[in-house]
Amino acid sequence: MSQALLRFESVSRRFASGVTALSEVSFELGANEMCFVTGHSGAGKSTLLRLIHASERPNHGAVLFEGRNIGQLRRGHLPAHRRRIGVVFQDHRLLPERNVFDNVALPLLIAGVHRAEIGKRVRQVLDRLGLGTRAPALPVMLSTGEQQRVGIARAIVARPPLLVADEPTGNLDPQLAFDVMQLFAELPAQGTAVLIASHDLHLIRRMRRRVLVLDHGKLIDDYRPEAA
Amino acid sequence: MSAVRPGLTQRFAAAGAAWRDAHLYSLASSLGRLGSRPLGNVLTLGVMALALALPLCLTLLLGDLEKLSGSLRDSREIAVFLKPGADEAAAAALAETWRADPRVAGVELRSPAQGLAELRSMRDLDEALAALDANPLPWVLVFTPVAGSDDAALAAALGELPLADFVQHDAQWRERLAAWLDLGRRLAAVVAALLGLGVLLVVGNTVRLEIQGRADEIAIQRLLGATDGFVRRPFLYYGLCQGLLAGLLALGVAALARQALQPAVGALVASYGGEFSLALPGLAQVAGVLLGGAALGWAGAFLAVGQHLRRAEAQA
Repeated sequence: MSQALLRFESVSRRFASGVTALSEVSFELGANEMCFVTGHSGAGKSTLLRLIHASERPNHGAVLFEGRNIGQLRRGHLPAHRRRIGVVFQDHRLLPERNVFDNVALPLLIAGVHRAEIGKRVRQVLDRLGLGTRAPALPVMLSTGEQQRVGIARAIVARPPLLVADEPTGNLDPQLAFDVMQLFAELPAQGTAVLIASHDLHLIRRMRRRVLVLDHGKLIDDYRPEAA
Repeated sequence: MSAVRPGLTQRFAAAGAAWRDAHLYSLASSLGRLGSRPLGNVLTLGVMALALALPLCLTLLLGDLEKLSGSLRDSREIAVFLKPGADEAAAAALAETWRADPRVAGVELRSPAQGLAELRSMRDLDEALAALDANPLPWVLVFTPVAGSDDAALAAALGELPLADFVQHDAQWRERLAAWLDLGRRLAAVVAALLGLGVLLVVGNTVRLEIQGRADEIAIQRLLGATDGFVRRPFLYYGLCQGLLAGLLALGVAALARQALQPAVGALVASYGGEFSLALPGLAQVAGVLLGGAALGWAGAFLAVGQHLRRAEAQA
């Protein structure tokens, strides 16, 4: 396995209500690796992604990203950490009043990239995802599949070392879902590790990648196809 | 070092260009927001403009009043009207004596003929003066006290002179006028502070509503790694633009108010034989209203966004 980009060390997350979302979860994700996290609803998939994104902090254990403990990041360092992680949402979360180009350009604008460079990189990524002609369109004018691809374009345009996706194919038909997964599968070769939370076991099987299985907050399996 | 410098220069240039792009983006975004709700923004701008125009009009009015009363307030002269029997020689001798007094900076002698000529120059007195057989006016000595001296004591001493018939010294009246003008200035300052606070609250509330309408967008920006500064900047420009536009409108309102009042004020002053023109805002006042409006808009937006960011952070 390649060098660890992300490491969970006995991570537990318990909410104020007393519900334990994650319990003593440990795993590593290498740079340029693609991995699924699966489990039934409430298994802790989304909590695991939020811990990576530092939207939540663990009660116990450590989440290390590029060697730094995310749970100990100060508030002022969170934006820089989040800019190192691309996020794809099930509901896309595109800005409805901005066109495709502006939506995809947003992470670069936030990162302070020069306008000329933004234009170049956005066009590159839109072309790569087959959205080159849709740049001036508003999200409402796009199909669900196109909206999801715009969401992916936005997540990868800044070339983050890690992309996390929470049920990215939940609203897509099976063929479109597979096409989107194929897009994700190309990313590790381009320098972006991918961690996808999904409960679509059929799709996960088709992709033949590593799978972390959560059950009631516990990591009960770390399945690697090559080792099977 | 020479090998490092071009790299540093390029990095600085790139950072500067990115900074400029980010600000242009924020400015364009804020202008777009202003144009997206024209009616609501016009109403808000109207309220802000009136709030800025009222203290401006008060300040201009005070300036006009000060200008109108300036010669009266600045004058410290004491006029001593001599008894009817006093002739030119007696008046001149008296003047000469008092010129040596250390409290007196100067003494001017005014003859009855000069006094009559002054009266003739005033309107509506021609017929009354024509009816006089002889000049009834006395010799008058006009004293200018030394700066810093006790004018009231000098006037009292002059009143004791055997030749003095009447001493005119409007110290009390002038003090009252000065006090009224001072009160007016303070009132204008209080009104400006209160209405400034009002502008701050109006902008703050407008920006708060704008933030509520864009809460999802802000949340997405934060998820993508936007700093507080990036989130805050478009709203600061929004508040700043609103303040500037309100300042411009306030200047327009003040100019319209001047236009509306000028004929009535001109006619009133003309009835007293004078001429008067209400002042337009000067350069300092124009700059003050525009910069003040912009600063209030910026501050209102800053407070509103800051509150939202703190609340979002607490909820996260």
